[in-house]
Amino acid sequence: MENPTDDYKIQSFDLDTQMLLKTALKDPSSVNLVKVSNVIVDQSLKDQVFSKEAGRICYTIVQAEAKQNNGSVFRRNMLNRLQQEFKNREEMRGRSLQEWVCYVTFICNVFDYLKVNNMPMVALVHPVYDCLIRLAKPDALMNEEEVRKNVDCLVLQLHRIGEQLEKVNSPRMDELFFLLRDGFLLQEGLSSMARLLLLEILEFRAGGWLLSGTAHKYYYSEIAD
Amino acid sequence: MSDWTRGSRRDANNSEIENSSYGPSRWSNCRKRGIDGSLRADRGVDGGEKDLHADSSSRHSDKRPESFTTPESTGPVSRCSRQADWGSQVEDDEMRRGVHRDMQRRRILGAEVTQRERKTSSGSSGSCDSKEGDNMETDEAVLLRRQKQINYGKNTLAYDRYIKEVPKHMRQSGVHPKTPNKFRKYSRRSWDQQIKLWKVKLHTWDPPAEDGQDNVLDNIEELGLGDVMDIELDFPNLSDSQNAPTTHILSLDGEDCLGTPVKVQKTESTVEPEMSSS
Repeated sequence: MENPTDDYKIQSFDLDTQMLLKTALKDPSSVNLVKVSNVIVDQSLKDQVFSKEAGRICYTIVQAEAKQNNGSVFRRNMLNRLQQEFKNREEMRGRSLQEWVCYVTFICNVFDYLKVNNMPMVALVHPVYDCLIRLAKPDALMNEEEVRKNVDCLVLQLHRIGEQLEKVNSPRMDELFFLLRDGFLLQEGLSSMARLLLLEILEFRAGGWLLSGTAHKYYYSEIAD
Repeated sequence: MSDWTRGSRRDANNSEIENSSYGPSRWSNCRKRGIDGSLRADRGVDGGEKDLHADSSSRHSDKRPESFTTPESTGPVSRCSRQADWGSQVEDDEMRRGVHRDMQRRRILGAEVTQRERKTSSGSSGSCDSKEGDNMETDEAVLLRRQKQINYGKNTLAYDRYIKEVPKHMRQSGVHPKTPNKFRKYSRRSWDQQIKLWKVKLHTWDPPAEDGQDNVLDNIEELGLGDVMDIELDFPNLSDSQNAPTTHILSLDGEDCLGTPVKVQKTESTVEPEMSSS
């Protein structure tokens, strides 16, 4: 029988913490939600797999807390932690590229899942753009290791939330894509993989956040032998 | 400016604050939530329900005279008009959307509602000509401010207990506190006074305090409202423009000595005593 909490990818946590999270999902007021939010944020910065889906568990806890007692302790603490990390992002990036990429993945995931009355959180729009733009700056495309991590993250996020982001702030998306075009055209020594990813995302946006059938075939079909 | 640093300082403090404890204020046992939004009492949560006001107050207390304390905080709190931390921004956003929805609802249901209200209106909500559907308060800033004040009142254990004890259809006008109607046109002073009296009335449903201090009459004296309680709330002609300090209310009933005139003056002239916390 399937355990629904597997969907939240919490297997990477130790068993006690898994218990804590499961309880938070069902009965938020019985746990220390500040601690829960810290646990989730901390893990998101370490575990890329988790960071890609952590928005989901956040969403469920937020809903559960609101329903149970109209509270927003979890959301408030989680957002403020995110803000704290955002403020120190350059230092984080300098310290660990992996952590930085995990952070961007996580904040984009939160932006995707945590809506306020079905609208994106306005407070996160600029920070998300700041993060994505940072991933496209020339210094992020310089060496092979950096490029791979940064561009991978960037195109994944744009696939997931690009359309929403553009809707809430189109000029900044233009700003981002100026950088992407520059990167594609001007960045010396860019690997072919990186160029492929950039070309695909350029086409994706140009197609209204959709790849045409033929383009999809080009990028995603198995090459027939 | 130091918006970001203020935010991060607060955030950095969170982990320490989590595990320290501040003495509850006289009023804090009536509040359903602490400043960080966590529920108080009735819970066995560690580190969840601490009153964070004390932290802010230690940072800002140099700017405020001691008499500037609101009933619901342990001390002076910062009063920036826009909180920089994401948590607050999102909550404000949420509240704004809620108010907009309320406005839409009110516009659609307006005529019907004012008919009903005319029949059951209580004396304390004041008689204004805004009972016609087309004369409602529409200024967003005003509605948001009022909603915030209402939220502070509803965010109390007293309110929770009140609504459980007295269902809406059992409420008697004049006897049971009624939430002021944010869509009616009132002068600023009239509205603030209604809110104040509404909250004082709600204290009747305060949970019994362990230290036996929580006496409704004590509370009224503390606010210096003892002599003001009897005044009819009816200021239809007063202008709304500013919040000038007013001792006017004190002289209306002919008495000029209250136990704590300074405090009353300060609370009268205070723009948003509760707006500051978040």
